[in-house]
Amino acid sequence: MDDLATYAENTWCLGCGNFGILGAFKKAVRILEEKGTGREKIMISAGIGCHGKIFDYLKLSGLYSIHGRSMATIQGMKIANPDLKVVAFAGDGDAFGEGIAHMIFAAKRNADITIILHDNGVYGLTTGQFTPTSEKGFKGPSTPKGSIEEPLNPLALMLEAKATFVARGYPVKLDHLVDIMVQAVEHQGFSFVDVLQPCVSFNNTYKRYNALVEILDHVPDSYQEAISIAKRQDKLPLGIIYKEEKLPYHKALYGDWNPVTKRMSKEERIKRIEALLSR
Amino acid sequence: MKEEVFTFIVGGKAGEGVRKAGSVTARLFASMGRQVFNMDDYGSLIKGGHNFSVVSTAKRKITSHYINADLVVAPDKRSYDIHKGHLSERGIMVYNYDTVGEAEGVGVPLTTEAKKYPKPDLRIGVGAVATVAAVIGSDKEALRNLIKSEYPRDIENNIAYAMTIYDIVYPKIGNKFQLQRGDKERPIVTGNEAIALGAAAGGLDIYYAYPMTPSSSILHYLAAHDKELGVTAVHPENEIAVMNMAIGSAFAGAKTMVGSSGGGFALMQEAFSLAGMVEAPLLCYLGSRPGPSTGVPTHTAQGDLNFALHQGHGEFARIVASPGSMEEAFYLTAEMLDLVWRFQTPGIILTDKHMAESRVTVDIDAKKTRWPETATHSGGEYKRYLDTENGVSPLLFPPSKELIKWDSYEHDEMGVTTEDPSMIAKMQEKRNRKKKAVADYLTNMHTVNVYGNTGPVILTYGSTTMSVLEALRCREIEAMVVQPVYLEPLPVWELEKYKENSVIVVELSCAGQFASLLAEKVGIQPKAVIKKYDGRPFDPVELASRIKEVV
Repeated sequence: MDDLATYAENTWCLGCGNFGILGAFKKAVRILEEKGTGREKIMISAGIGCHGKIFDYLKLSGLYSIHGRSMATIQGMKIANPDLKVVAFAGDGDAFGEGIAHMIFAAKRNADITIILHDNGVYGLTTGQFTPTSEKGFKGPSTPKGSIEEPLNPLALMLEAKATFVARGYPVKLDHLVDIMVQAVEHQGFSFVDVLQPCVSFNNTYKRYNALVEILDHVPDSYQEAISIAKRQDKLPLGIIYKEEKLPYHKALYGDWNPVTKRMSKEERIKRIEALLSR
Repeated sequence: MKEEVFTFIVGGKAGEGVRKAGSVTARLFASMGRQVFNMDDYGSLIKGGHNFSVVSTAKRKITSHYINADLVVAPDKRSYDIHKGHLSERGIMVYNYDTVGEAEGVGVPLTTEAKKYPKPDLRIGVGAVATVAAVIGSDKEALRNLIKSEYPRDIENNIAYAMTIYDIVYPKIGNKFQLQRGDKERPIVTGNEAIALGAAAGGLDIYYAYPMTPSSSILHYLAAHDKELGVTAVHPENEIAVMNMAIGSAFAGAKTMVGSSGGGFALMQEAFSLAGMVEAPLLCYLGSRPGPSTGVPTHTAQGDLNFALHQGHGEFARIVASPGSMEEAFYLTAEMLDLVWRFQTPGIILTDKHMAESRVTVDIDAKKTRWPETATHSGGEYKRYLDTENGVSPLLFPPSKELIKWDSYEHDEMGVTTEDPSMIAKMQEKRNRKKKAVADYLTNMHTVNVYGNTGPVILTYGSTTMSVLEALRCREIEAMVVQPVYLEPLPVWELEKYKENSVIVVELSCAGQFASLLAEKVGIQPKAVIKKYDGRPFDPVELASRIKEVV
């Protein structure tokens, strides 16, 4: 029996890249548990789109957020109780259309959160429109003559926004993706995992990805090297592209405080208010 | 006007310390045990323009500033011209001789004297304070102590300047208005400070906000006193993040509050409905200013009433309340925090710039607050959306071995997404029952303030309550003032008894939203609606004559 599964009926298309992400994350959770992070401490969130259905399929606590806001939702969880590990599953339209400001600011402030991007270059659930990461010329119902916009590069954008952990995975390389997920969740700060996710119904990229992916043999030593890897067009390098240790947002905000578990007593609070009023 | 009230106005360009001079003068009156109402009229700019600060004081309770002053200090020609029309019959104009020249009133070389010190422009406000001290016969020692505590930078020069101005003013008009001491020294707070402290007293853990006048000072106050109060203040990228982070924090068990004004609040609507769907306890603060859109950022209006009442899309319970005094702002914020946690639904504290930013002496007993009481899970399998009689499901916070799922989609009791027709209907009904539960609960609470017991009935709400009460006081008009504190659900059960009365409605709105609400929900047809919508609060004398006209 799969104790990380709920009773929700899975409605992803047969062959969808999301199955790999779901399977990889379950494996990652089991490894995290072995390493001492119990599943009761791992909170999840998701936006709206095919990717978001993972929320219903995973037997993990969390909040099924709205389109483009899951990264704000989990930042709120983390600020309230930094003992929790928080992970948001996001779509590429979700994260870089509606949610781009939250993505950039979460990276900029080094919020201690993990974003797993189901990057399929298409809005699947709304039947195939172009997204912020779709190739120029992409034909969908809203761009029948082909997209006239340049695509965003999620990796380069997140690096530019000061993300302290940036990686790319591919569900076909499952164990590699599992390892990235584990490290991303363990990272103390903003971790971003761009998962190349073929959409069999609207943007089937299996062949192209299989031909272009290449597992990095080492974590790049410098930010400059990371940027150049992120921008490569000839190949799609997989692995941890950038990693940096830096004080996470909540610690910079309030040190070792925890708003929920270290809450001040009512008596103490009232005393302080009386003191402020009498000043 | 009864002479029990003394009013001081200081005007000038932004950046000259005009508002500071107003607040320091308020402090001076409060230190004499008197009560104070201090209103700032300022523009949305940092330098230049014309700002002024009005401080009215009395030995009794005072709930408004008065626009006609007994003492005006005009540092420049513009202030002189604007405020000479604001002098009461006994009023004295003290003007800056260096900028105004020969004119009616008392000329004082404020600039010439200030130029003897560095940064003369910043010192004009100190001169205004020294003028007040001389005119009310305050002794030099008291003035010295006041300057020392209120102007901590460059203390010696400020004191020297203040003493010089005092010595120039005193022989001319010193002791002209002998203000008596009042009963006790009270703290002075703005409405926003009262709300920030009330939230803290009610158990607030985290405050999220993006700056927008007139709500920003709550963020500033809590950020400045975060460690002291044990409250975390966060300023994220925009109001959308504000609201979604707050809901995430509530999920993790933190008592959270957000704040904004009209435009910023509009950005919060999407997540306001999310809070309704996931049943997040969330307190929101809406400080109004004249709209629509950018409107008049630093002025006041009650034009967002309908916006507050109908916040968010979809059907769910909303709670909206508006305090009628600074004290009530304090207690009501704590009470609202309890209500949103009790019913796990979003609620709004509605005020406007007049309450948010005016400074008033208050009597507040912080002990008279309680922390939220919440239905909590007590064992067995946890179901986030357990279908209960009153629609409120027990809460459980992570980390827990139990599964805790909050879902923005329609969901089953476990919080798993559903499209099943019977489940959809069941959950709609569950959320709908919370509306009734809130209304039932409020029927046993104090939801309407009534002042006075005879005369015509005046219905008003929010900051306008303060204006109405002062208008009645200053002209000794007998009337019954009825102020619903809760606006959603509107306490119809309390208000119905005034249906047969001759009712006057007073509000700061052009469309008369409050009057329409009373007509729609209670069936009250007022014989007159007194409105003001020029961005300024009522002056009590002007309001009193308008009330007398219609009574």
